Amino acid sequence: MQTAAMTRERSFPTRTSAYLDWLQMLTGAGLILFMWSHMVLVASVNLGAGAMNTIARFFEDTYMAQVGGPLIGAAFLLHFVLAARKVPFRTEQQRAIWKHARLIKHTDTWLWLVQAFTAMVILIMGSIHMWTVLTDLPITAAKSAARIQGGFWGVFYLILLPMVELHVGVGFYRIAVKWGLAGRSQRKGLKRFENGLTAMFILIGLITIVRFWTLPI
Amino acid sequence: MGRHLTFEIFRFNPEDKDSVPHMETFHLEETERMTLFIALTRIREEQDPSLQFDFCCRAGICGSCAMMINGRPGLACKTLTRELPSEITLLPLPVFKLIGDLSVDTGTWYRAMNEKVESWIHTHRSFDPRAEEQRMDNALAEEIYELERCVECGCCVASCGTANMREDFLGASALNRIARFMMDPRDERSSKEYFEVVGTDEGIFGCMGLLACEDVCPKNLPLQDQLGILRRKMGWQAVKHLFRMG
Repeated sequence: MQTAAMTRERSFPTRTSAYLDWLQMLTGAGLILFMWSHMVLVASVNLGAGAMNTIARFFEDTYMAQVGGPLIGAAFLLHFVLAARKVPFRTEQQRAIWKHARLIKHTDTWLWLVQAFTAMVILIMGSIHMWTVLTDLPITAAKSAARIQGGFWGVFYLILLPMVELHVGVGFYRIAVKWGLAGRSQRKGLKRFENGLTAMFILIGLITIVRFWTLPI
Repeated sequence: MGRHLTFEIFRFNPEDKDSVPHMETFHLEETERMTLFIALTRIREEQDPSLQFDFCCRAGICGSCAMMINGRPGLACKTLTRELPSEITLLPLPVFKLIGDLSVDTGTWYRAMNEKVESWIHTHRSFDPRAEEQRMDNALAEEIYELERCVECGCCVASCGTANMREDFLGASALNRIARFMMDPRDERSSKEYFEVVGTDEGIFGCMGLLACEDVCPKNLPLQDQLGILRRKMGWQAVKHLFRMG
């Protein structure tokens, strides 16, 4: 018996969806690791301006900031384009997902909408942040503090911080459940861990912003 | 003395050109161990014989009575009213074609899905009715049976954000179905052939991992685990091809 699938064996299946999904996950995972490291490194200012300056100098002396910065920027844009394939831009799709989310009141469905919304904010604010920092190297605690103490950037980071941490936290959870790295029995625990991690990074971020705001220049 | 229950039920008959979609309120005294199926039957028998809803087995086996119960898909026969607040809103499942009121046509959708994923054992062996049945390891048979328990009620599809946005998305029950055949040693399809069926954005790579399917499945099928396994298998298949390993 010759079935349709057997006949198709000789044709060439398209693997584009698979490759794009891999890339979306890999750029996402890479950016999650980057964002968490970034937060820890910037938070070094809480140990003193000297600590942050030493770390920043290290990254510039090794050209990691000059080369790595634009590379992270490229990964950031690539991740946006890949993930945007799933975001409803058409009105009818948007109407459908809103209606659906409001109806079923399901946390993970809402968390996806949080991811989609924060993504748009991060695309704009993250790009502005990267451009501002990378076109004004070297990074020093005094320059960052002056920017934040100007007021505008202080508010800017107070908005960007929770957006990034929410997006990154939910993304971390989503990758684990989507790719089966966390099974049914681990899902609840993973979600608790992710919530704790997100809250911790937001707290570190807030403390860091306050530190910059009060740092004598 | 039971509670006084208020039902808000979606009413619309597409066959009747004068019918307009609206919500209608019904009242009922709660009785002991009352299910939504019992409540709906009483409403139909005592208050409005024109109320349309599907049922067959009354035991969570046939999957006919799936509906949106206070916003969540579930089986009317498996849902006890005591688990719900005294105000209960019932809507037909989205995604599927509405027959009338709470009744939807899941049959046509499932038939098309089963044809699309070729939901049968593909083999070159001809069937000999006199021969002894092919043996299968018991543990494996149980694993297959676990996925075979799907009653095609449509709750996973109705709860899926992707399926609600995109008509072409296969949905969890189809992917679960394919996972079942991939386990079956009698099915001779190669990984490449399975990839053809589900290795696309209409299949496993369209799934966004919202996991509402896992959370609403009335049969508690391990959908999260199966979707994860399928994504990894199909993903690996594509990577192997990249390095010309498969």
